[in-house]
Amino acid sequence: MTTLTIEAGAPRGAACLSPPGAIARIARREFRDAAASRWFLLYTIGFAVLAIGVSFMSLAGSGSHGLAGFGRTAAGMLNLVMLVVPLMALTAGAGAIAGERERGTLLYILAQPVSRTEVILGKYLGLGLALCCSVWLGFGLSAGVVAWRAGGADVDAFLLLVLFTCALALAMLSVGVLISVMSRRVGIATGLGLFVWIALVFLSDLGLMAGTLIFKLRVQEVFAIGVANPLQAFKMSVIVAMNASLDVLGPVGVYASRQFGGSLAWILSGVLGAWIVTPLAAAIVLFSRRAPA
Amino acid sequence: MTRSTLITASLTLFACNAALLSAAEPRSTGEIAAMIDAATEHSTIRVPAGVYHGRLSVQKAVRLEGGGEVVIDGGGTGNVVELLAPGIEFRGFTVRGSGSRVEMEPAAIFAGVGPVVIEDCRIDDALFGIDLRQASGSTVRGNFVMGRDLDPGRSGDGVRLWWSHDCLIENNTVVNSRDMVFWYSRNLRIVGNRVSGSRYGLHFMYSHDTLVEDNILTRNSVGAYLMYSQGITVRRNSMTRNRGASGYGIGLKDCDDILIESNAFLANRVGVYIDNSPSSTESWGLFVQNTFAFNEIGLLATPNTHDNVFTSNAFIENEEQAGVHGRGALSLNTFARDGVGNFWSDYNGFDRTGDGVGDMPYEPRSLFENLLASEPNLRFFLHSPAQQAVEFTARALPELRPQPKLIDPHPLVRPPKIVAPAAEEPSEGRLAILAISLALVGVASLTAWRLGRDPAPIRRERNRR
Repeated sequence: MTTLTIEAGAPRGAACLSPPGAIARIARREFRDAAASRWFLLYTIGFAVLAIGVSFMSLAGSGSHGLAGFGRTAAGMLNLVMLVVPLMALTAGAGAIAGERERGTLLYILAQPVSRTEVILGKYLGLGLALCCSVWLGFGLSAGVVAWRAGGADVDAFLLLVLFTCALALAMLSVGVLISVMSRRVGIATGLGLFVWIALVFLSDLGLMAGTLIFKLRVQEVFAIGVANPLQAFKMSVIVAMNASLDVLGPVGVYASRQFGGSLAWILSGVLGAWIVTPLAAAIVLFSRRAPA
Repeated sequence: MTRSTLITASLTLFACNAALLSAAEPRSTGEIAAMIDAATEHSTIRVPAGVYHGRLSVQKAVRLEGGGEVVIDGGGTGNVVELLAPGIEFRGFTVRGSGSRVEMEPAAIFAGVGPVVIEDCRIDDALFGIDLRQASGSTVRGNFVMGRDLDPGRSGDGVRLWWSHDCLIENNTVVNSRDMVFWYSRNLRIVGNRVSGSRYGLHFMYSHDTLVEDNILTRNSVGAYLMYSQGITVRRNSMTRNRGASGYGIGLKDCDDILIESNAFLANRVGVYIDNSPSSTESWGLFVQNTFAFNEIGLLATPNTHDNVFTSNAFIENEEQAGVHGRGALSLNTFARDGVGNFWSDYNGFDRTGDGVGDMPYEPRSLFENLLASEPNLRFFLHSPAQQAVEFTARALPELRPQPKLIDPHPLVRPPKIVAPAAEEPSEGRLAILAISLALVGVASLTAWRLGRDPAPIRRERNRR
């Protein structure tokens, strides 16, 4: 947190609080609000219950053959994470600014000696930390199930899965905050968030699927278009972390592994990183220019 | 008496590697040859410990004992040890430094006549490991072959039999090699071997009437590839994580009368691949009590595949339980015998009568899998919610539902037990994963408690979102 706040240190509202201090305070308040919000609690509980369920289901019937560990659980987890985490992050982000705007509290906050950049960063950090806590809780409980029912697991791969899930959450939160900055009302922001969620989770993949079938897209085209979707980048990152190769994804995966080799993991992480940084930066720019209410 | 050929290769080439043994002044294989010359037939020769340089040709039926302390270093030319008389026993040696010219097929231990016994040897740095040519009745037991680090296409076989019938290949370990391959050899028993990191774990070419039992074949391109062979029984083997370019647990190409029983096919790319087996109309293929679990495709067959019977097998959580290599169905094969079908983990029928057999047939129809068959690039979308969306659509709109790929009229509701040996011990990461579990939950709760408590000085929000 401290490292992040240093780069955000351009002071606009010069006053009693240093910029890192201001960001930390806003982040803390945002975290507390999130933790107290019923929606957020519901998501967290839902994610944890589903994670435990997926772990149980994946481990059932696999017997003592040593393969019952993390690989199966992770495969089941992928779908769950790709559905639930973006939904959580987008809706949480969508409410961040639009909520304050709708309630009229945004002007009040901006009247404090804090810059707009600090407000956005603080809210982003607070919500991001809350989201990460949800993810940690869900994965932690799921790891408990694995340890109890299956014994071993590939610890590195598991930690990478958690890490990439947090990255995915932060990327989607970033998009959510951008939507929130652009929206006047929470309802509109949430609706937009849901639309983006459906677009990223279903529409883009289904469209690309149809394109692959109709236009007979080549492997490099499928990969280039597919990897732009942060969910696909996340999925591939996790598979690379577990298998070191994308061969489970058929010809496209084999192409990606052969073409990019060791740098594939960096490319995928780069895509996720870009999805974190770019929408957030756009949100900051937009928010600084727009009239607050 | 037999005359020994003395070929003393240059001594210094690999001498620096000899530090393994104490007091290792360079010795010559000529010393061993002299001992063999002096010995009578069928006597036992205990070779003194040390590193012997040069090649060795044994042409008298003697029992050579290395006791695990003798290294024979061929220095990088041709075969290192040649066994050229029936009745030779060669036991407890480390052999290394064969030639490297692929067209010469140089081996660490070459047997040109049978029967011979090759036992408890360790083979390093050789193009071919153990090469039996027309050495029927031989025993190859308890050897360890470590292949050269070469591209699989250019490397040699860990163990090769050529026209060597009635052999016992038992408890050998082959690592990083090409194949353990059997050419034109009948009536073999291949038991308890382990092959990993190679091209084909076991490879049969025109080798008939053979028993393959209790082998563990892991992380090869293909676990066992049976080609143009008849009458092979494959029982209680474990094929795990064979995921190379072909990536089959077992591949069957034009094979007849094959019994595949009680094997475990786990986490391969394809559990069993059937290409035109059985190839003739009179013959059969029988799959009993095997476990196909966690493979990308459990069973894959070419569309013309016919007359295979599957009964009491378990298909557990394969990405695709059964598939056709190309378009079509598996309808020329039978998935139940005497009212006993197979266990399918994605079966969603019920067993009202309680006899262990589901009341409705198992008929897999997956739109996504059908799409995959026509457009393999779509595999890119595996593990994503869009895949589920496609399946859901097909379920909701019956006109989109494809024909079933196979019909199991009597699916089992419980999987039969796995009896094949476990390839990997359950990993020891239990404590670590438990620690991670506690750490994640702990950090999450602690953060929530620390940050979620006291009101921050800026302002307390009245409304809850």
